[in-house]
Amino acid sequence: MKTKIKIDIDGKTINASPEKTILTICRENGIKIPTLCFHKSLFPEARCRVCLVEMNGKLVTSCSTKPLENAKIITNSERVIKARKMNLELMSPDIKANELASDFEAKEVYDQVGIDNERFKSLKDYHPDLGAAIVRNNNKCVNCGKCVQVCGKIQEIYAIDFASRAHNEHVTPYDEKKLEEIACIQCGQCLINCPVGAIVERSHLEVIKALNNSEKHVVAQTAPAIRAALGELFDMKPGTLVSGKMISALKKVGFDKVFDVDLGADMTIMEESAELLKRLKENKKEKLPMITTCCPGWILMMEHFYPELIPNMSTCKSPHEMLGMLIKSYYAEKAKINPKKIVVVSIMPCTAKKFESTRKELNTGVDYVLTTRELGRLIKMKNLDFKNLEDENFDSVLGLASGAGDIFGTAGGVMEAALRTAYEISTKKKLKKVEFKNLRSSKGIREGIIVLNDKKINYATASGGANIRKLLRNKDKYQFIEMMACPGGCVGGGGQPIYSDEKILGLRAKALYEQDSKREFRRSHENPIVKDIYKRYLGEPLSKRAEKLLHTKYSERSKF
Amino acid sequence: MVKKEEILLNILHREQDKKGYISIESLKRISTEQNIPISRLYGVVKFYTMIRTEPQGRYIIELCGSPSCVLNESREIERFLERELKIKIGETTNDKMFSVYKSSCIGCCDEPPAMLLNGKPVTSLTIEKIKKLLKELRNQKNQKENKN
Amino acid sequence: MQILRQTNLEALKLAKEIGPEKVLDILDRKNLVGRGGANFPLAKKWRLALKNKNKSKEIFLICNADEGEPGTFKDKFIIKNNPETLIEGILIAAYVLNAKRVFIYLRNEYNYLREELEGKIKEVLKKSEMENKIDIEIVRGAGAYICGEETAIMQSIMGYRGQAMYKPPYPTDEGLWKKPTVLNNVETLTCVPQALLYEDWNPNLRLFSISGDVENPGIYEWEIGVKMSTILDTIKPKQEIKAISFGCFGGVMPLDKNSLINTDTICKEDCQHGAFTIIFIGKNRNIVDVCLSIAKFYTYESCGKCTPCREGTIRILNLLKKVRDGETDEKDLKMLGEIAEHIKETSLCGLGQSSTNHIVTSLEHFKQDYQKYMNKK
Repeated sequence: MKTKIKIDIDGKTINASPEKTILTICRENGIKIPTLCFHKSLFPEARCRVCLVEMNGKLVTSCSTKPLENAKIITNSERVIKARKMNLELMSPDIKANELASDFEAKEVYDQVGIDNERFKSLKDYHPDLGAAIVRNNNKCVNCGKCVQVCGKIQEIYAIDFASRAHNEHVTPYDEKKLEEIACIQCGQCLINCPVGAIVERSHLEVIKALNNSEKHVVAQTAPAIRAALGELFDMKPGTLVSGKMISALKKVGFDKVFDVDLGADMTIMEESAELLKRLKENKKEKLPMITTCCPGWILMMEHFYPELIPNMSTCKSPHEMLGMLIKSYYAEKAKINPKKIVVVSIMPCTAKKFESTRKELNTGVDYVLTTRELGRLIKMKNLDFKNLEDENFDSVLGLASGAGDIFGTAGGVMEAALRTAYEISTKKKLKKVEFKNLRSSKGIREGIIVLNDKKINYATASGGANIRKLLRNKDKYQFIEMMACPGGCVGGGGQPIYSDEKILGLRAKALYEQDSKREFRRSHENPIVKDIYKRYLGEPLSKRAEKLLHTKYSERSKF
Repeated sequence: MVKKEEILLNILHREQDKKGYISIESLKRISTEQNIPISRLYGVVKFYTMIRTEPQGRYIIELCGSPSCVLNESREIERFLERELKIKIGETTNDKMFSVYKSSCIGCCDEPPAMLLNGKPVTSLTIEKIKKLLKELRNQKNQKENKN
Repeated sequence: MQILRQTNLEALKLAKEIGPEKVLDILDRKNLVGRGGANFPLAKKWRLALKNKNKSKEIFLICNADEGEPGTFKDKFIIKNNPETLIEGILIAAYVLNAKRVFIYLRNEYNYLREELEGKIKEVLKKSEMENKIDIEIVRGAGAYICGEETAIMQSIMGYRGQAMYKPPYPTDEGLWKKPTVLNNVETLTCVPQALLYEDWNPNLRLFSISGDVENPGIYEWEIGVKMSTILDTIKPKQEIKAISFGCFGGVMPLDKNSLINTDTICKEDCQHGAFTIIFIGKNRNIVDVCLSIAKFYTYESCGKCTPCREGTIRILNLLKKVRDGETDEKDLKMLGEIAEHIKETSLCGLGQSSTNHIVTSLEHFKQDYQKYMNKK
């Protein structure tokens, strides 16, 4: 631990640690420095050269430079601003600051630095990678490298990397393939980290056509994570629960009914805990640990890189798929509507679910998947004053969920929900406390032990690709594992409002735990609609009808 | 002690020396053997101009384009090659005989203009010299084919 | 030539007798500086690595044989004509640094020299009885000029794209696989045995790579401070020379027949001599054409990592093309100068920082050549 040194920043004397970078020191002292390629959890590469400052008369990148003793640092001279400006203009000649959506991290940078981009013309001429879920446009890319680093270091998928050099340097999967042709898990973390929106989701706002078609009965179902983040797109504080306004907005936009995917989550719990208890009883080595399957990103990761784990995977479909099937059967019957006229639109925090929904061979009942951001755009297109909408409720037929269903949206939530039911059903005892503190920590890997009728069950959860791989190296220690491809779980999904501060994920998760605590029913098996669905329609968990509607299978894919 | 790992560049060259280029299939194999993500391998291969992922001509010509050679009429040689072989720099002739590239500097600045022919320097080039060389190479191939 | 002096492995023997500290002292005293272009004192670099001996048991040695600066061919000359002394230099360096693994990064354009060099290595190792005591591996380059830069060469060896990394950390602190690493040029390492062994070793004798509009291009050994008139008499220009360019990186300056070639006279014209590569440019050439081929060079060789070099070099080339085609005005020239200055000031590594010296110096010394093209219209 070196002793602190005296440095001068913009005329102010600061005692700083010589081990910290100038950027860190500035941020700690409230001095704003624009950055583009800098990422808090990643090693600074100093690619973009936007974070320039003057140190002792020389222009240096503050993200990678540590201060010298008695250094004279200037962060806002004309020279510095001119240099930042020219780099921004060189890297993105086509971007007009006022056209950049406020979503993107770069918007603040462009506004702060101010650019005049009549000086350079774009020289890039790439074909966009028009995927079913993710669209990459290299003509907008500024070569910041965050997508590459996130896909590599944080997700450990390594789907993309830089190729070629000089002005031909570009990000691509191997052999210039499209993301859909390779082992990409469609998690969208590249999208979340792109500061300029060169990676965006594929738009399925053609759902508007169905909304305007009076012949169609269009049903929206919203994932737990949406209500905890949608408000951010309308300048509301992160972590504000906006369920009521969300439902109201959906109705005003034209959806005939709005159902709660959290109820689908309850169904998933019913099926999955029955499945878990069955496997624990049978105790077959190849089927334990049982691993959750509500995350399509994780499923893709398993199919590409760990197909030997297929026997371990729960056969349960994900909540919105289960509910989608029930909408077109249980609900259609109850409401006496021809299922062929029903269009099911899932609002998801997820790009992988978007990819999945375009695969027609999967029988999910879901016709479209829109991301949280797309919903935001739909609401803006209809000129709704979101902040001031009156709260509404989910439509009752498939609108009531337990708290267990709510917490699906955050890492550790599926596990907690499953344990609440698995414990009470197998021991026939009630849990004194339904909250599992160890599953609510902010760690990437969370674990614990629960005793079910004298049997000690080791469980663990992991979110983010690197943590998934880490947990899998130790998997045989456990009987039940939850895997989430996105760091933080679905609140940090590829379809969520773009964030750059991890604290926001914690606030979104907190909102879901808050929703859980307010629910009348905290456990999936207490949900009266769930009970009704089984009584009237499915019989019991893992019944033949349940297997047909609510379960699926997996297949091996190429590791490339 | 850092374990002695195989140096990737040497692995790639060994592979390329077999058939004159590295196919995507070979890259996949190297990716598996060396436990290197294929996206990174592809990025590495595409970074270096002398590693090629497409089948090459029997003879690879790398013409020097350094300022020293340009001052000594290398452009004339370049234009001649393009006309004679009916290809542009970076392409391979239809009969798969010649691939022509431009190098930034091959270090033969005392015998300009110069080129590498399948990695060996051919220097003090003139149009006559190249004409003769191309003819010889073509004859060699024909002789080989006649023998067979 | 001093560089061709052989030692019969006596220098290695001497080094082992007197020990690393004394070797460092002698090399210090003899003023041996790096000959890869940076001219950094050799013993100082080795000492910087050695001070990390307690933190890391391993020090790596890299012999930089990626001679890529256009117009440079002195290291090739050494590999062909005195490989034994080069290898002995490597062995002495490895001895002082206690380096068990040595990489010779040989550019692929010199691959035809590799087999013979490998043979020589085996020979010298056998002769010095060091066969199993040290691992010398030749790493083949693959056509990237940037891989002559020390951080890029290490990325390349470790199996990554050869993109430059910012410094600090310096290679002597954190290099290959985060271990202290010493990079030395071929010519530098060849001088080590000679400087150690020979009392009369002259540190001011350098190898000059001469090419361009001259009858006798080649490798010459002259003292720093040699008269330009001496040089001209030897190399026999094909026409009157108006300018010299120090490779692509060092800038262009007017030829003064009465000057001396030393650091002062060159710096005065805002140029850098680096490893003494000099390209002679005749009177009937327009400097803008020379700059065009230099600018083109940088658009191929920029590693692509940092914005100013990746995006700036191609724009410099496009602007120069416009100059040549007579489509520019004073405003464009001003922009050319601005971009050149910007790339120099904000690039991440030495390649970018020196990639526009030719622009800055040609605008300074040969503006009339630009105007010739501009007035064409």
